[in-house]
Order: sequence, then C-alpha cells, then structure tokens
Amino acid sequence: MAVSLLATIGVIALCTICSLDASLAQAEGHKLVITGSSTMAPLVAEIGKRFETGHPGVRIDVQTGGSSRGIADVINGVADIGMASRALKSQEQHLHGSVIAQDGITIILHRSNPIRELTDDQIRAIYTGGVTHWNQVGGPDAPITVVNKAEGRSTLELFLDYFQVSNRDIHPHVVIGDNEQGIKTVAGNPHAIGYVSIGTAQYDATHGIPIRLLPLQHIPATIETVREGTFPLSRPLTLVTKSPPAGLIKTFIDFARSSQVNDLILKQYFLPLQG
Amino acid sequence: MSRQNRYLQESGTTAIIWIAATLVAVPFFCLMGDLLWNGLNHLSFSFVFSAPQNAGREGGIGPILISTLFILGVCMGVALPMGLGTALFLAEYTRHDHVPGRLIRGSLDVLAGVPSIVFGLFGNALFCQTFGLGFSILSGGLTLACMVLPILIRTVEESFRAISNEQRLSAAALGLSKPTTIRTILFPAAMPGLLVGVILGLGRAIAETAALIFTSGYVDRMPESLMDSGRSLAVHIYDLAMNVAGGNPHAYATALILVSLLFIINFSSSRMAARWMSFNQLPA
Repeated sequence: MAVSLLATIGVIALCTICSLDASLAQAEGHKLVITGSSTMAPLVAEIGKRFETGHPGVRIDVQTGGSSRGIADVINGVADIGMASRALKSQEQHLHGSVIAQDGITIILHRSNPIRELTDDQIRAIYTGGVTHWNQVGGPDAPITVVNKAEGRSTLELFLDYFQVSNRDIHPHVVIGDNEQGIKTVAGNPHAIGYVSIGTAQYDATHGIPIRLLPLQHIPATIETVREGTFPLSRPLTLVTKSPPAGLIKTFIDFARSSQVNDLILKQYFLPLQG
Repeated sequence: MSRQNRYLQESGTTAIIWIAATLVAVPFFCLMGDLLWNGLNHLSFSFVFSAPQNAGREGGIGPILISTLFILGVCMGVALPMGLGTALFLAEYTRHDHVPGRLIRGSLDVLAGVPSIVFGLFGNALFCQTFGLGFSILSGGLTLACMVLPILIRTVEESFRAISNEQRLSAAALGLSKPTTIRTILFPAAMPGLLVGVILGLGRAIAETAALIFTSGYVDRMPESLMDSGRSLAVHIYDLAMNVAGGNPHAYATALILVSLLFIINFSSSRMAARWMSFNQLPA
C-alpha cells in the first residue's frame, strides 16, 4: 500500500509541475488549439502546417472529435477555434462562424444509364426499397444496385438528413467507405446508384471515369452551384469562435479563407471559397 | 473392442485439440497476410522516418512513431512501479480474505472491463482539463496507465500467489528479511507472470485509439516534450482508414509497423527479464 501511495503522490506532484509548465507555455499565446469535426480535421491540420511555416514560433494543434465537440470546446474555452462541418444552428448564433470551404454531395449513376434526373421522392424510394428496377423510374429493365455509405461517414449523415430516412430502412447491395471506392463501384456497374462528394465526382467524371452526376431539385451538381449555395445537398465547413476573431485567431482564419490554401482544400476534395 | 474404443477416444481428442489450435491461428495468419500483401510495397526507410504529408496519404510516420514510443514510455513508467507495488501489497502484505485487499481486487476487476472510450473521456476530464495537462503525450500515457494497471496488477498478483509458501517459510527460516526474500526469491519466481502482464498491458496500450484520441490527441508534428500533443500509430491508422479518402495504402503500411513494433517490444522485454533473472538469483 505504502508503495502505491508513494507512487500516486509522485504522479500527482509530476502533474502539478507539468500543469504549471503548461500554463506558462499557453501564456505566451503562440499556440492555437482547434478541435471538432473529423471531416475537417485533416484539412485544417494541413492548413495549420502551412501557417506554421509562414509564422515561426506559432503552433497550430488540431484535435478531432466531431462538430458538436468542437462547438462545446469553444464555449468551454478548451479550444480557441472549433470546427463544424455544417452551418451554425439557430441556438448557436451567439458564436462566430467563418466558412473556409464548401462540401457537397451528389447522386451518381453509370454514364450508360439513360436517366438524366430523379426526384427526391424517387431517390428516397430507391434507397428504402420501394423502387427496385430502373424501369419503375423510366429507365431500362434492370435491377437497381443500391450503393450506400458505411456507418460513421459524415456523407451518410448528410444524405440521411436531407432525404429524411433512417439508415435502418436502407438495404444496400454494396456498402462503401471512401468517395473513390464509391465512384469505382458505380463506374464498374451500369445499374448502380450511389452518392459521393461532388469535388471528387466532378474531377473523375471529367477525367474519363464513366459516371454521371445527377441534378437535385433541377439544380445541376457542380462545384459552381455548391459555391453559390444553390445546390441543396451541401454544407459549409466552418471555423467557430466564441467572440469575433482577433489577433492570432483572426490571422489564422483569414489565412484559412485566403486563396493561399486553395490547393490544400482541393487536395482534401472540398471546394475553396475563391475560384 | 474396448481397445479400439480407447484408440478412437484418444485420437478423437487429439484431433479436436489440433483443430481448435489451428482455427485460433488462422485469423492471425490471414490478418498478417492481408497486412503484408497490402502494406509491404509502401514500406520503405523514408516511410518510417519522414513526416506525414497531405493528411497522411503521402510522406511517412516518423513523428507518429516517436509519439507512440513516448506515450508507451509514460504509460509503462507509471504503470510498472504502481502495478508491482499494488500486486505485492495484495499478494504478500495482506491475506487473501483481507477486506481492503478484496475491495481493491474487486474494483480492479471492474476497471479491467470498462470500455476504452470511457477511459478516454475520464482521462480528458482529469488529466487534460482538471490537471491542466491539455492534449499531451503525458495525458495520453497516464490515461493508458489507468487502463493497463488492472491487467498488470491481477496477472502479477496471481503469479506471486502461485509461488508455494514453503519458499517463503524457508527464506524466513534462513533469516532473510522480507525485502530480500521478495527481491531474490519471489521476484525471479514471479518474473514469467510479470512478463505476461507487461506484454498483455503493452498490447492493449499500443492498439488503443479511443482512449488516446481525446487525451494525447491528433497532432502529427514531431513532439518536442511530453507536454506536446502527439498522434499514436493506432490513431493514425484509424484516421487513414476511416477519415481520409485514399488513405488505405498508408494505413496498411502503418499497421505493419505497429505489429513489428509490438514484436520488437515483446521480444526485448522477455530478453530483459531473462537477463535480470540471471543477475538477481541467490548464488547456489
């Protein structure tokens, strides 16, 4: 008992010393802690690395955990900046959101499929099993292969949220993970339907991969309509702060919104603010 | 007839035991095969030592490997002395039915079954926020130590208990003090059990993601001190496989490094234990 008691005291003493050390380090104000959306974390980490090279002595620490955690951490003061891969909700309007990029989701079919447009109700019926053959929605006489996203993907959540369906009601034939995997699945199956990030899909479609991006509510699925905010199935990638950005926080957010990071945003398959 | 029955019974038992052991080995070899098949061609010297780029799709895992070693170091540096102390208390300084001992043992058994995400949230609340350590290698290592301690203590305690009492009585009859008895007689005898505890604990620690993502964090920069946030190999694999489009190839390669690291640590800890034993046994 004495041994473990001593060890416990030792650990607590160590922690106290280190916490003093930590508060000293934070007092210098050269470190930004950013937490939140796992969708945004890889992108913001890359932006942080580029920011650090231009600002010696500054450190950008990016942590993940989900959009709601990012918002909670900003409110509690645990994080300087939160990441939310959605717009701020009405009850979050006391916070300050700065959009750094856009993400959109498009329905994709094989290019040989003659269908040019599906209504939201038709897509919902296909995914929940009400429509099982393409001829029920004006296509060829062939069974539909439903490609769904794997559990835990934010694309899936956004899709479910937009079409107001529960994942339990979807009986997919293929479950995919990454955007690229979804595109390869649909490109290899003339009767498949899937949904992926617009940036990746548009890139592949213009580079010879046989897929077609379907419009939603008559609005074409393109980077431009997402950027304009007219495409219905899209979301802003938002940096959230408790008070209006100032000092180093403002410098970083301005940098993340500038064209200096466009290539980083495109590399993570999101859409930058400026063309 | 009866001889034939006996023969059938014996060969039947042998066959069942062989099949069971083979079935247990199959998943391991499938997994290793999959890792080698998908990961080996991405593995290189520069992959192990350079920094990750483009969210881990390019570059290597150098800083992540170092962070992992730091986290494991903190974890074992804290867990080993505390675990040994508590195991000795439970096995050598209290009777088996001693009330405080039973309480400690019972709480350890419950702790051993707590899901790792609970340890992660606990570590985030206690070490990162209450102690003010923030997202840091120290927070992560201490959280892992909390997680590893139950396994370590219970294994080591059992190996002390397995030593026959005659050895303790003989030592006492020879006039050896209790610390000397523990160091020269009980410790070497319990060493194989201690080793099993360390290896099981390290295995749990090195594979951990949920307990670390909220404590040691996600930063993939080269750590400069234990107060820096550092991403572990397992968190990196999880992120590449689940969060980064096109991250699979490097996820496989990183997993291969993780498994190799586990092999190296297990091998060297058994070598260290063997050396320690050859130094500390009483001369015959």
